[in-house]
Amino acid sequence: MILSLVFFTFSLVFYFITALLYLGHWIFKKKWIGQTATAMSFVALMSTSMILISRAGESGHAPFSNLWESMMLFIWATNIGYLIMEYKHKFKVLGVAVMTFEFLAMLSAFALPYKFKSAEPLNPALQSKWHWMSDLLARWDLQSYAIGWLDFHVFATFVGYAGFAIAFGLSIIYIFKERQETGVSTSRLMAAFPDARIIDELSYRAIAWGFPFLTVGIISGAVWADYAWGTYWSWDPKETWSLITWFVYAAYLHARVTRGWRGRKAAWISIAGFLAVIFLYWGVSFILPGLHAYA
Amino acid sequence: MSEKGKGASTGGGKERSFLHAAGSNIWYFFNSLKLTLGVLITLALVSIIGTVIEQNQPVEQYLAAYGERWTGIIFKTGLHNMYHSWWFLALLAMLALNIVVCTFERFPPKWKSLLNHIPDKFDPRLIEKLAHNKTVTVNTSASTAVERMSKALKKKGYCISQSGSGSESFIYAWRGRVGRLGSDFVHISLLLILLGAIIGSYSGFKSFDAVYVGDLMKVPTAEFKLRLDKFWIDYYDTGQVRQYNSMITIVEDGKEVLTKQIWVNEPLSYKGIRFYQSSYGMAWNRVEEAQIGVRKKGSEEVTDVFTIKWNEKANVPGTPYDVKLVGYTADYEYDKAKGIVTSKSAEPNNPAVMFEIYEGADMIGGALVFLNHPGLYPSLPESANADLVFGGYKGIMYSGISINKDPGTNVVWAGSLVMGLGFYLAFFVYHRRVWVHVRQTGKSAEVKFGGMINKNTLALERELDDIADSIVSDR
Repeated sequence: MILSLVFFTFSLVFYFITALLYLGHWIFKKKWIGQTATAMSFVALMSTSMILISRAGESGHAPFSNLWESMMLFIWATNIGYLIMEYKHKFKVLGVAVMTFEFLAMLSAFALPYKFKSAEPLNPALQSKWHWMSDLLARWDLQSYAIGWLDFHVFATFVGYAGFAIAFGLSIIYIFKERQETGVSTSRLMAAFPDARIIDELSYRAIAWGFPFLTVGIISGAVWADYAWGTYWSWDPKETWSLITWFVYAAYLHARVTRGWRGRKAAWISIAGFLAVIFLYWGVSFILPGLHAYA
Repeated sequence: MSEKGKGASTGGGKERSFLHAAGSNIWYFFNSLKLTLGVLITLALVSIIGTVIEQNQPVEQYLAAYGERWTGIIFKTGLHNMYHSWWFLALLAMLALNIVVCTFERFPPKWKSLLNHIPDKFDPRLIEKLAHNKTVTVNTSASTAVERMSKALKKKGYCISQSGSGSESFIYAWRGRVGRLGSDFVHISLLLILLGAIIGSYSGFKSFDAVYVGDLMKVPTAEFKLRLDKFWIDYYDTGQVRQYNSMITIVEDGKEVLTKQIWVNEPLSYKGIRFYQSSYGMAWNRVEEAQIGVRKKGSEEVTDVFTIKWNEKANVPGTPYDVKLVGYTADYEYDKAKGIVTSKSAEPNNPAVMFEIYEGADMIGGALVFLNHPGLYPSLPESANADLVFGGYKGIMYSGISINKDPGTNVVWAGSLVMGLGFYLAFFVYHRRVWVHVRQTGKSAEVKFGGMINKNTLALERELDDIADSIVSDR
C-alpha cells in the first residue's frame, strides 16, 4: 500500500465535494454553503499537502520528479493561491471556476498510467543539489532531501502555472460576465459574480504572480541546464513552449495597457496563455520528443 | 498592426526634412505598444513551428518525413534551424528595437515626474475627478482631522507633504514610487540577456572529447591539459544507475593544478572553460593488460599463462622470444585500402590483440591473436613450436567530456537578476498617490480625499476604506 496514493484517493473525493459546494454556493447563493466550501477546500489542501509529504518519505527526495508528483504540486499551489485570493478579496463565488478546475486536474492525474505515479529514485541528470543545503541537512542525516536548482525550477514553474490556472478560470468568468454586463446575455447566474472590472483585476493579479514565477522557473531551469549539459538554452520543445507561454503572457500584460486591447481581448489572451500552459505541461511531454520527456 | 503616422517635417532643407520624416516615421513605428503586441504574438505563433518540425536533423530525415518539395521549402526558409534563421532573429531584433525606442521615449519623462512629483498646490476639485475618492465628515476641528489623516497615511507607509493651515489644509501623500521603474528594469534586463546570448554565440565554443583513464586530453584554445584519473558508476541498491563520475586533474605547465570529481550536474570550471561529464564507455582500441596463454603446436592444452601490460614487453615462457603488446581492437576489421586494423563497432564482438615479436633486441615479426578464434594465424616463429592464445583482457574506461566556454553566460545571469528585481518592483510595489483636502465646516471637518495607483486598484480601494475608518473613529 502506497500511502501517497491513499491520500490521493481521499483528496480526489475532497476536491469533488469542494467543487460541488462552490457550485451549490453559486447557484443557491446560501452563505453557509460558501463557508462549508471554503472549509472543505482547506481540508482538500491539507490532504494534498499530505500527498506531497508522504511521497517525499516514499521516494527519499523532494516530491517533484515525475508527472504525477508535479500535478500534485500544481494542484496544491493552485489551491493555496485561490484560498489567499478568497481571504484577501472575499469573493467566494469565484471559487466555482477554480475548484472545478482543481477537481478536473485531480481526475486527469488519476487517469495517468501507473508508471507516471510510482516513486522512483532520481536518475543522474535529475540529481542537482545545492551543496550548502546537503551539508546542512547532513547534520541530521537528511541530505537526500536537499533540493537544488532542479527542484527550485519545478517548484517555481508550478507556482507560475497555478497563477495562470486561477487567471484562466477568472478570464472565462470575465467573458461571460462581460456579455451579461453589456446586455448580450441576461443570465441570472452571471449576476452573482462581481463586476467584470473586478474579475479582470483579480485575473491580472493572478498573472502578476504567475508571470514572475514562470520567469524564475525558466531561468532556474536554464541554470540547471547549464550545470547538466553546459548550455543554458537549447531550444528543446519544452523550453520553446515555455518561451511561447512567456510571450503570450507578456502580450497579455502589454494588452492591458494598450487602448483597444483591454478587457475582453486581454481575457482571451489569458485563456490562450493557459492553453499554451496545458500544452507545455502535458502536450510536450506526451507528443513532442525532447529532454523533458520524463515530466 | 503598425501605427505608421506621418512624422511632422520641421523644415530646414528638402533632403533633411525627408530624412527627418523617414527617421521619425521609423522611430514612431518602433515606439508602439501595438507593435510590441504584434511581435510578441507573432513570436509565440512562429515558435510553435520549430517544436513540430524537428530541428537540425540530417537532410534524409526531412526527406523521409516531408518529401522533396517540402524539404526544399524547409531548407529555403530555414525552418530546419529556425531559431537561428534570419527572420526569427529579425523578429527578436524588432522586439529589442521596440524596447529601446519605448524606453528612450518613456523613461526620461517618467523619471522627471518621479523626481518632481510634489505639487506646490493642487485644486481640491480634482479630487472628485479621481476614480477612487471619498468624502467623510469628522466631528473634530480641521487641524485634528489633518493630524489624524497624516497619522493614518504614515501608518500605511506613505510619505506626506502638507500645506495650508487653519481652516483649509492640503496633503499630498505618496508611496512605492520606485515601483514605476520595475517595467524599465525588466525591459533592460531583456536587452542584457539578448546581449549575453550574442556574446556567447560569437566568442564561445562547444566541443566534446573522450579521454582514457590515465590519459591527458588537449583542451581547445587553452594552455592547460586535462587528465582523467578515474571513471566510475554509482548504483542504487536496485541496480539502477545513480551517478556517473570522473575524477579529473588539470595539468598546466607539467604541474597538477587542481583535482576534482565531476558528475552529471557538477562540472569543473577552470579559467572560464567548463568540463561536463557527458558519456562513458570501454576503449575499442586499447586495453590495460591482456592474459596470454601458450599452447604447444598440435595440442589443445594451454600451458603457461602470463599477463602483459599495454605497450610492454614480456617473455613467452618456454621460448627465447619476447612479445610486446602494441594493439587491440574490439571488433576486428581490416581496412584493405589503408592497410590498417580498425574496429567495426565499439562493442567487443571480435576482440583481437596485436604483438610485436622480439628475439633479443631485434624485432622479427608481428602477430595477431583473436579471442574467439584461437590459432587462426600462426603467432610465433616455427622454431618455437608453440602458439599464443588470447585468454582475456582488462579494458580501459573512457569518459566523454563536454568542453564548453561561454563568456556570455554571466551576462545572461546578470540580466536574470535585474529581471527578478524588475518583476518585484513592477508587480509587487505599487505607486500610490493620495490627495487630501481638509476644510472646516462649522464644528466638524470635511475631509475629501482620493488616490491613484498604477496597478492593483482593488488594493487602493481597500486602503482608502481603511483610512476613512481610521480618521472617523481615530483608531
